[in-house]
Amino acid sequence: MSEIGFLFAGFAVFWAGMFTYLVILQVKIRNLQSQIDLLENIIENHDEV
Amino acid sequence: MNLNNIYELRWKVLPPLAGVAMIGMAALALVTAPTEVIEGDVQRLLYVHLPSALASYFAFSVTAVCSILFLLKRDFKWDSAAQGAAVVGLIFTLLTLITGSLWGKPIWGVYWQWDPRITTTLILFLIFSAYLIARKSSSLDSDKSARFCSIYAIIGFLDIPLIHMSVRWWRTLHPQPIIAKLNPALPDEMLLVTLFSVLAVILVAAWFITLGVETELLSQRLLKLRAIAKINISEKS
Amino acid sequence: MNLSTQLQIGGKLLNANLKQAWRDKTNWITAGMFAVTALLLYSFAFNLTTGLVRNLLPGVIWTVFLFSGIFATGQSFQHDRQNGILDALKISPIHPMTIYIAKTLANILMLLLIEFALLLGATILFSEPLFTPQLLLIVTIGTIGYTALSTLLSAINLDQNNGGLLLPVLALPLLVPLLIASVEATSASLQQEAGTAPWILLLSLFTIWSTAIATLMFPLAD
Repeated sequence: MSEIGFLFAGFAVFWAGMFTYLVILQVKIRNLQSQIDLLENIIENHDEV
Repeated sequence: MNLNNIYELRWKVLPPLAGVAMIGMAALALVTAPTEVIEGDVQRLLYVHLPSALASYFAFSVTAVCSILFLLKRDFKWDSAAQGAAVVGLIFTLLTLITGSLWGKPIWGVYWQWDPRITTTLILFLIFSAYLIARKSSSLDSDKSARFCSIYAIIGFLDIPLIHMSVRWWRTLHPQPIIAKLNPALPDEMLLVTLFSVLAVILVAAWFITLGVETELLSQRLLKLRAIAKINISEKS
Repeated sequence: MNLSTQLQIGGKLLNANLKQAWRDKTNWITAGMFAVTALLLYSFAFNLTTGLVRNLLPGVIWTVFLFSGIFATGQSFQHDRQNGILDALKISPIHPMTIYIAKTLANILMLLLIEFALLLGATILFSEPLFTPQLLLIVTIGTIGYTALSTLLSAINLDQNNGGLLLPVLALPLLVPLLIASVEATSASLQQEAGTAPWILLLSLFTIWSTAIATLMFPLAD
């Protein structure tokens, strides 16, 4: 691999790593939030009954 | 303005600031910074490598401080914060190791050297992986597990200087191939770019930590809601 | 309670712990058997005639010691917890540090016994002079250091069902300075080099650090 190759690989890993983590976190947060909303709904409705 | 108000601003301030800083950093590191005379373009990896290392130290210090706060206050939000920061720290440690080896191959001729700093970083990675494994393998609301893991994080954090010292002695008391001492002092322009990169990556790390903490807090909340829902359903039936 | 009563009670606890360990047998027999088996395996795996064994011995000895130490200390609070002894101790006016020190001392004594026996065995197996005063000193300091940490970790690990499995993963990264220092001290001592002193210093430093921090942390742990 040429010098530029190593430089490119380093930057690619760095940016890809951060973006992947960001996407994973967003998906996780969205999942958790939807589950929480669902449960809160159930609990509220239950209280009304 | 108290600390809580400042923390509330995190979603408005951190993402755009970090984003702009990162783009600026890429431009500075790849275009503006002068090419190093001896190492050539590979040296530009320094602008992601060093900031990642500092960001990981930053994140792990947050973990250690939050662990101390958890032990003092016994509030689970500190436990969540410690976990969220530990994940971010691990990611930046991994990035440090990868970018470091990609720099090492063309410069040293090998990807891996048992150099004191590399070894310490690797062990830092192992310690906080163990911390997360221990914490995640027991239930989130277990007070005992949270306490244990807080203590482990503190001990692990305090172990770092000792590890660094021992590895340094271990390497220097041994005969070893002489590695040319590179970058004795960075020229001004490079130093400025480095400082800017450090700032940018620390901002990103801070943003990631707030996101990670948010995730952990939401998990805690979900757990509580589940417990409430269970009680409600069992009352009904 | 003042210091002298704490010391007296600590002595009684140590006595009780040692008796308990002797009666229970599983801990130290497992640790001892593991150590013997590992040592035998190493002597099968290495070619003893080449004379290179001397360079490998420090690593062999200390990996065996570390893992048998984890076997021996991993369950150190199991019996006390199951029989409610720990709960009784916790509500008594005995300081948690006293409980911890008594337990750690019992573990150290048990491990030192195993390790010295093992050194004798290794002397015979590898025909190297391993039972020297200097080496015994190094082994003793190192054992105190890692037992202090692993006893603390075992104390808190208990309520997770996989605690026993996790202990090596948790303990070994923290023990890197100890492993480096003790292996280097041992090999320097075996080769009659002059370089033993700095490693013993590092080993002592680690031992003081781990003992102090574990003693301070134990009251928070339980």
